[in-house]
Formats: sequence, C-alpha cells, structure tokens
Amino acid sequence: MLIEIRNLDKNYIMGEIEVPALIDVNVSIKQNEYVAIMGPSGSGKSTLMNILGCLDTPSGGNYFFNDVDVSSLNDDQLSAMRNREIGFIFQSFNLLPRMSSLHNVELPLMYAGILKNERRERAINALERVGLADRMGHKPTELSGGQRQRVAIARALVTNPGILLADEPTGALDSKTGDEIMNLFDELHREGNTIILITHEQEIADYAHRTIFLKDGKIFTDEPNKRFKK
Amino acid sequence: MQFEENIKVAIRGLIEHKFRSFLTMLGIIFGVASVIAMLSIGEGAKREAIAKYQDLGVNNIIIRDKDLSDSELEEMRARFSQGLSLTDAEVIKDLVPGVERIASQSELSREIQFADKTARSTIIGITSEYADILNYETDKGVFISADHYDRELKVCVLGAGIVQTLFQGRDPIGQMVKIEDQWLEVIGTLQSKTLFTETVGELASRDLNNDIFIPLTTFHQRFEPGNRLASELKQITVQVQNSNRLLESSELIRNILDRHHYNNQDYSIVIPYELLKQEEKERRIYNFLLGAIAAISLIVGGIGIMNIMLATVMERTREIGIRRAIGARKADIMSQFVTEAVAISITGGIIGVIMGVSLSLIISLFTDVTTFIRLYSIFIAFGFSVVVGISFGYLPAKSAANLKPIESIRYE
Repeated sequence: MLIEIRNLDKNYIMGEIEVPALIDVNVSIKQNEYVAIMGPSGSGKSTLMNILGCLDTPSGGNYFFNDVDVSSLNDDQLSAMRNREIGFIFQSFNLLPRMSSLHNVELPLMYAGILKNERRERAINALERVGLADRMGHKPTELSGGQRQRVAIARALVTNPGILLADEPTGALDSKTGDEIMNLFDELHREGNTIILITHEQEIADYAHRTIFLKDGKIFTDEPNKRFKK
Repeated sequence: MQFEENIKVAIRGLIEHKFRSFLTMLGIIFGVASVIAMLSIGEGAKREAIAKYQDLGVNNIIIRDKDLSDSELEEMRARFSQGLSLTDAEVIKDLVPGVERIASQSELSREIQFADKTARSTIIGITSEYADILNYETDKGVFISADHYDRELKVCVLGAGIVQTLFQGRDPIGQMVKIEDQWLEVIGTLQSKTLFTETVGELASRDLNNDIFIPLTTFHQRFEPGNRLASELKQITVQVQNSNRLLESSELIRNILDRHHYNNQDYSIVIPYELLKQEEKERRIYNFLLGAIAAISLIVGGIGIMNIMLATVMERTREIGIRRAIGARKADIMSQFVTEAVAISITGGIIGVIMGVSLSLIISLFTDVTTFIRLYSIFIAFGFSVVVGISFGYLPAKSAANLKPIESIRYE
C-alpha cells in the first residue's frame, strides 16, 4: 500500500477552543491509483491535502507513506519527503516569477542535491514530457495559464515522486485549457503515476477513477467512479 | 543543497532586484568608505609626523642656544657663561657614552645675491658630520666635506628654495654667489624639504629650503655675528647609538652643560624621538575616535541591511513557501538569506572600498590633509562589512526559515 491513513485526526486551535478539521479519517491508496478528493469548502479537504503532502502533521492517528510513519518525522525529514515523494500542483501554479521555466523545474532537483548537468537534463526531459520544450527559457510571466500549469506539472514530475498531488489544478484556467491539463493527467496516470486530485468540481473529479467525498471532516463516501471519462 | 548553489541563488536574487539591492547596500557602502577614508587620514597624519621627526633624526639629541636679547646676553656673559661652544661639543663627545656622531652649527640670517637677484636666507656653518647625522643628500653636486672644513674653503650648498629664486632653472653648480662682501662657490644643491610649518619643541618653524650650508670654519672666519657677545654655536646635534638611551644621555648632557655654563639656562634640549612618542600618544585617542565613528556607521549600515531584509522576508513569503513545498529545508532557506545578506555586504564592501580609496585621494588632492591608505585598512573595512552582513542577515534569515510552509504558500 502506498498510502495508509488510520484513525487520523486534525484539530486547529482557534483562540481558546479546539476546532476539529478531520475526524477519524481512514484511507488507503495503492500505487497508480487516480483519486479525487471532493467536498464543499470547510469539509477538511485542504487539511487532508496538507497532511498527504507532508506540509502538516496530524494531531492523532497515523499516516504511513510507503510504510514510513510520516507523523513521526521532523521538519528536515518532512522536507526531504516533500522533495522526493510529493509532486505538488497548485491552483495558482506557484512558480517563481523571476526564474525561467527551466530553472523553476530544476529547483526541486537542486534541493535534492543533484548536480548541475544531470539536473538540467532531467528538467529538459520533464519539460519535453509536458510539451514545453520550446518554452524553457521563458519566465512564467511570459507564458499562458495553461503553459504555466504545464511548467508546474513538469516541476512536480521531475523528481519522479510517489504521488502527484494536484490542488484544484484547473481552477485558474478556462475550460478548454482545463480539459487539456486533465488529459495530460490521464496520460501521466496511464504511464504509472499515482495521482491525487483535490477539487470541488464534479466535472473535474470525473476524470479520476475513485472519489473520496469529505463532509464536516469525515469521509462521507469512498467509492470507485463509475462515470469516469474514457 | 551545495554552498555554491546558494551563492548562485543569492546573487541571482540580487540581480533580479537591482534597485532594492542597491538601497540595501548604501549603508555598507558609506560605512566601508568612511572607515577607509578615516583610517587613511589617521595614517597620513602619522606618516607626516614620522617624516617630520625623521628629518630631525630619531636617534638625535638637539641642543639649541637660546635666542636672547642683547641685555640678557650681557647678563649671561657677566655670569660667566660663554653660551654654546665647540668646547661643549668636545666635552659631550668625550664624556657621554654611546655618542655616535656630533655636529655643531652656527647660524646667521643674511641676504644672498646672484647676478641681479637676491634672496633672504639662513647661513648655516656646519661641521662635516652634519650631513650624516641629519640624512642630508644633495640633489646635484656634493655636500660640505671634512676637506672643505679643514681648508676653510669658500664653498656653499644651497637649499631648493634659494636655487629656485636665484637660478630659475639654470645650473647653479660652479657659480659664484655673494653674501655680504664674501664670494662663495656653489658646490651642491639640496632636494626640496617639507615645510617646517609647526614649532617642534624649542625648534621654531621655518622654511628649510632657504638654508645655505657652508663649512663652520669658513663661517667663523668670514662672517661677523650681529652681536660680539653671541655664542660660538647655535646648535649641537648629538647622535646616540641606541634610541633607548636618549633620555639618560640627555640628562648627562644637561649635567655637563649646566656645569660648563655655571647653571645658566641659556640653552635648551630637544629630543625629537620623545616628542614623536608623545605626539603618537595624543594621536591615538584621536584615531580611536575616528575609528569609533566609522565603526558606528558600519553598524548603522548593517541595521539597514537587516531592516530591508526583514521587510523583504514578508514580501517573499510566498517564494519561501514554494521553496519549502518542493523540498527546501529550513537550513536551505536560512543559508539562502544569510548568503544574500553576505553577498549584499560584500558587494557593498567592494563599492565602499573603491569609494573610500577615491575619497581619501580626493581629500589629499584638494585639502592640505595628508592621507595614506594602508592595505590592512581595506581588509579591516571589508572583513568588518562581511561580519556585519552575517550578523545582521541572521535575524531576517531565521524569520524566513521559520515561516510555516502551509501558511506561506497561500500568502497573497
């Protein structure tokens, strides 16, 4: 099992009172699954994503990633985990605006301590993979929204992570470009990547093969998506 | 992440924000420039003082016959003192241990003539050891030698100022100049000497370039003093072997002279080296003050770096969040910011060094303040600016590293 979440709780302290964001969540995700996590705002899906992405640690319960207990890791180990195992794709792309696409894609490899030549080669490959071989020298500000998201996907792919974690990846794109990005996810899934998609749009969730629906911090439904496209 | 990667990231960051980087650097630039300029002023003053005393000789004890009015002179003679004399010089040489050389001189203020030009000058009659003791070197020709002295030759060596006034570019060597009714042959000229603009101890300030040197024997033979009671000598210069014994030797000389002058205080003793040490002591406080002001300006520069960097941490929260999300450790963010601070202060330091060097050149060109840049002052200023960069970059770097990745990545 790639991801194993057991009896996970997450509480936030707001002033004096503890507010539960996730209550007794149990999820297992296998290698090469394509999962959508859905739910209305405030349902806890962002909190779950932060924990899945090793940006945050649970208040209770366990999160095993490849049998590693993530809740026991320290800050440096969490950084290494994010670096190696998590490929983030954000709604607002989160590229460094003053760096070229190539540099942006190289950045995770730099933090992984990979040397310049290999880094460059792998970044070029990743950019070629998302169809941006001709835009490597461009800065994000010189690219369209769809191209920016492709750069972000290349950055997520370049370390060969265990999971791609996409948070509303089409939220800032028009529907045509959004479809193109979703088709790219389909391809990446077919190539063997494990994808977790966080969204509130049924349309987007329909691309995934399994949907986890969160409500009030609890798993409401968790079932295969019978309607998934293709 | 490797160190050189950090440097690249930091430098790229600086270039991407040229104007902000420049503003951040300003404090360091002025700090370093002022350290260098101030140290160069201090060093210049020191060198000037050393040069001044070197002219007088750091191993020398100078005994001057006091300038007395006619009535005072009469009183001294009535009390049996003959004033400073060649006998005094001989006794000192015989009785004071560790005397290397001794030179005697007499002085008169007279006009010197060549063709239709005249110049006011001080005629100095000297013994042949004078040149060795006071490091006199001729520009052209030769200096007064023992042979000139022994044969009472009518020869003279001219100061650079006299040469300028009388000869105006012509070669003076071999020309005859006239003082009172005496004709003297010019055998040498001196290099230009620094102006003696301030009184050193009992030595009044005067322009050394208007001196004319002739053998003391010739001086006594050919020139009448203004007053018949005038002392035989104006000055005796004693060179001792060891500058550590200057004070002892001068005490001994004082005892001898007091006895010979029947306790009449018609002479004074100047020890240039002691004056130099005293002056150095006074200047130390002044240098310390200059240094302190410069150091404060560097620290203010450092605070400037800290302020602007703390502000940019805020502005760059999202960048930090992104970096953390894709795997940067706290230490990576920390070292990125510290490296940026150091890069800012090093760049500022380099610009500051250039400005400081230019500033001290400008000061010495356009004012009468002498400056001198020692290499170590550049290293001090530069090294200090790096230390300032590291120490004042630390706080902003720490606050950047401690930002929570989840919050900073959503920061708008």
